[in-house]
Amino acid sequence: MTNKVAIIASNGGLFDAYKVYNIATAAAATDKEVTIFFTFEGLNLIHKQGMQALPMPEGREAIAEGFAKANVPSIPELAAMSQELGVKFIACQMTMDVMGLTVEDFVDGIEVGGAVTFLEFAKDAAPTLTF
Amino acid sequence: MNVTTVLDAKGLACPMPIVRTKKAVDAIESGQVLEVHVTDKGAIADIPAWAASGGHTILEHTEEDDVLKFWIQKA
Repeated sequence: MTNKVAIIASNGGLFDAYKVYNIATAAAATDKEVTIFFTFEGLNLIHKQGMQALPMPEGREAIAEGFAKANVPSIPELAAMSQELGVKFIACQMTMDVMGLTVEDFVDGIEVGGAVTFLEFAKDAAPTLTF
Repeated sequence: MNVTTVLDAKGLACPMPIVRTKKAVDAIESGQVLEVHVTDKGAIADIPAWAASGGHTILEHTEEDDVLKFWIQKA
């Protein structure tokens, strides 16, 4: 049985961020080796400023109150917790180039790599999840 | 029951009860018992699943006034 969980984060909304980080922290807390590959809008999830105010899906803004009431951690908190639990973050080099972003735009401790970097990790991971 | 540590994770939402439980179990020795208190209903299924994944044993589980309690013996 494999002990690896591979996650592709390719969307940049608040709901997307919760899906990615909740699964990542839960897996890491269950002693899985977890890597997240952030690509396209998914780079918002590790962007120092962007991650502070990720957009809600249109018309669902009222859910913000639900998040507060349920005492759900913020995205920056979940990102930091993921890293503390050993989750590895890989930012997609190609998307960074396209969007004019540098490693300085992202939280500390990330790696930058291409698709092959992620595929090498994911080749024997189960599950591989895409959000 | 000889409880080594009590973890109060009440009021926390998923995935925090599991993260806190992991850290608390990391801090005790094999054979010792962690008592966990949670209010997240997801924990009813999640904590046993987490324990099974690490080979830990749920010695007891109770539910009173919306507070779930688990006694986990570390593998």
